[in-house]
This record gives sequence, structure tokens and C-alpha cells, in this order.
Amino acid sequence: MQSIALVVGTLFGSLINLNHPGNYIHWGFIQMSYSNLLVIILMVIVFFAAILIPFKTHKNKGADR
Amino acid sequence: MSADKAKTHKLARPFKQDRDIADWHGRYTPYDLAKEGLIALVVVVLLVTGLAVLFGSPDDTPVTVKSWSTANAVDFAATAIAELDGTSGTATYGAPYNTNGTAMSIGPISPQKWLGVHHPINTANDYVLGPLSTVANQPEVQAAVAEYKAASVDQQAAWTAAYEKAVADATFVNGKLVVPAGAYGPVGVIISSLTSMARSGALDGALLSSRQFYGTDYTKPLLFVADGTFLEGLAVNQHLAGDQWGMMNETGSYPGQAWLWLYTLWYQVPAIGNSDNADIQVFAIMIGLTTLLALVPFIPGLRSIPRWTRVYRLIWRNHYREVEGQGGGTSTSGSPPQVMGEVREPVTVSG
Repeated sequence: MQSIALVVGTLFGSLINLNHPGNYIHWGFIQMSYSNLLVIILMVIVFFAAILIPFKTHKNKGADR
Repeated sequence: MSADKAKTHKLARPFKQDRDIADWHGRYTPYDLAKEGLIALVVVVLLVTGLAVLFGSPDDTPVTVKSWSTANAVDFAATAIAELDGTSGTATYGAPYNTNGTAMSIGPISPQKWLGVHHPINTANDYVLGPLSTVANQPEVQAAVAEYKAASVDQQAAWTAAYEKAVADATFVNGKLVVPAGAYGPVGVIISSLTSMARSGALDGALLSSRQFYGTDYTKPLLFVADGTFLEGLAVNQHLAGDQWGMMNETGSYPGQAWLWLYTLWYQVPAIGNSDNADIQVFAIMIGLTTLLALVPFIPGLRSIPRWTRVYRLIWRNHYREVEGQGGGTSTSGSPPQVMGEVREPVTVSG
């Protein structure tokens, strides 16, 4: 039973363990974890990607309508 | 004003580009929103599953009265005596637990006061005397509790004051709380027994005031643990305290609730963070800002910001390039084509 739990735990356990003390940035009175900063940077990238990636054009489809 | 006149008045009002929408006379093309929604759903499910496999989730060991008293028995004893003499944070909090504290307020607005005491907690009885009265086969404990209850208020205060002074120099040796001698009467036995009860795990069970089959109300043990310094120390180590922007942090190295930055920002302002009314002040500020955000379409100036920043021209740059290349104009409002909530997307604008 324990070996089954070990196999299941290994298969479905997280590959990267983040349950250890985090690192924080201090900018004056601002404190932020590196992981939060990474998520914010990713959100900014997605925001600009959403603006800059062109829409699918409908020229051919819509031309007859 | 009659209904007809009102209608005429509405139709006759001047067109304002940030308030009114011009009629669309261009062509349309079909757009499959259901397909797009389905694709988005599949992408999000795959992302969530993949990230869960890759990173798992925060898994900190829960802090219980047992783990607290085992890790720091002296802190537990010092907190227990504060619960007994009514000087702990919970004992002096006020509503919703008791009437011993001043409710938060902004002028006459005080929801804490309005809602009153609806989860009563008497710290001496609920955290100390009550649980000890359930201990069986220990007559010295019951005798100490009885002696304490039978004493006058002044006598109780003298005992607890003497114990509070002594417990500052207490140690925990060989599984026993060692407190310097003093004139604290039965309080020594009471706190020592409560510490043993806590370390055995029995106090956790005694504090779960459950009326249901499954206990889910952890208010009492949680407040008791929070009254000590142990939990606060753990929180500070993990950057979860209020003055560490803790609201947007998570345990371990996991990303937290970054979107709560504006809530926790206000607690970093000394005038708010050090105020006794900090919570209701932040609550009021955020209600005000949220209302402002919801009303943006109706606020002159604010509602013009999208037109001034011209981000829409970046998003719809192909459309504007095409229209301006043809020498045509845009819609009367100068706004991007309206597609939100529509199933048809405009492809051009009549000149």
C-alpha cells in the first residue's frame, strides 16, 4: 500500500517544489516576492501581446456580405 | 414632461463622442464566439493542469494549539495567563467577540458596532477554565479551578499579575513548565495543567465549539493561537504580515495574490497602517475607488481617457490603416469598431 502511495505521489506530485522560503525584493517601502514580480511581468507581456498580435482578418469571408 | 417630449428631448441632445455611439453603416462578417470561447477554455484547462503538475500548490503544515505549545510552551503559558486575566488581543477586541474594545469607525459609520457581539468569547472561561473543567482524574486541577473561581476579583487579579510577572522568566525543562516561585495561588497549577493539555492535543478538541457532526468552526483555536507571538513570528518569516505587503504574498516561494496590491498598499501608508481604524479606512477607500471605476462611462474627462491615449488605434491598426488609406473617415465618434458582445465584426466603414 505504501509503495502504491509512493508511486502515485511521485507521478502526481509537483515536479518543481516551491515549498521553501521565498526571496523578496525591497524597493524603499515596497516589498515584493520574485515569484509575484515574475507573474506581473508575464501579465504585462500578455497584455502587450494581446495588443500587438494582429487579429485574424476576414477580408475574404466578409467581402460578399 | 410627457413621454413624447422626453423622447424628443433625448433624440435632440447634441452628440458627444465619449458618451454616444454612432450608427454603424458598414459591412459585417460572421464571428464564431462559441468557437473562440471553447478554444480559450481548452487552453486554460491545459495551462492549469500543466502548471499544477509542474509546481503543485502551497502545503504548509497547519499551526494548531498543540504544535504551538509544543514548539514554544513559554509563549503559550504567557498567552494563556493573558486570556485568563482578560488582557489578550481577543479579550480586548470588542465586537463580534465581546464588548471590551472600541469598534472601528469612520465618523458615525461603524459596521463592527452595528453588527454587535454575535460570536461571544469569554477568554477566561472559553480558553482556560472551561477546558480544564473537562479534565478527568486530576483532582488537584479541579481544586485549583474551584479555588480560582471562588476567589474575589481583586484576589484573582493579584494572582494573575504575579504569574504574568513570573512567567516572563519561565523555562520549559524535561516536559514541564518551570515558573519562578511567586504569590500566584492556584494560577500556577491552572496554567501548567493547561499547557500539558495543549501539548497533548486535547485543548484543540476542547476549543472546537461544534454544533454539527463535523466541526468547521475554528474561530476559538485560531484566535487563541493568534494572541501569542508564535504565529506572528511564522507569518513575519514568510512575509505575510500587514506591513510586509503580506496580503499579496503566499507561503513558500509561490506567487501570491498580486491583484491585491492596491488593498495592501494603503496599509503601508503610516497614517492608515498605524490607525486603530485602518481596516475600515482601507475598506472605505476601496469602495470609493471601485465605485469610481464602475462609473467611468458617466464621468466626463475620465471617460475620455481611452480616446486620448489612442490605444484602440493600436489594437485596430489594420482597420484604421485601411480606412485612412482609402481616404475614408472613421465613425462619428472616432472610436474603434464595436464588436464586444456582438456576433458580427465590422470589416470596413462607409466613408
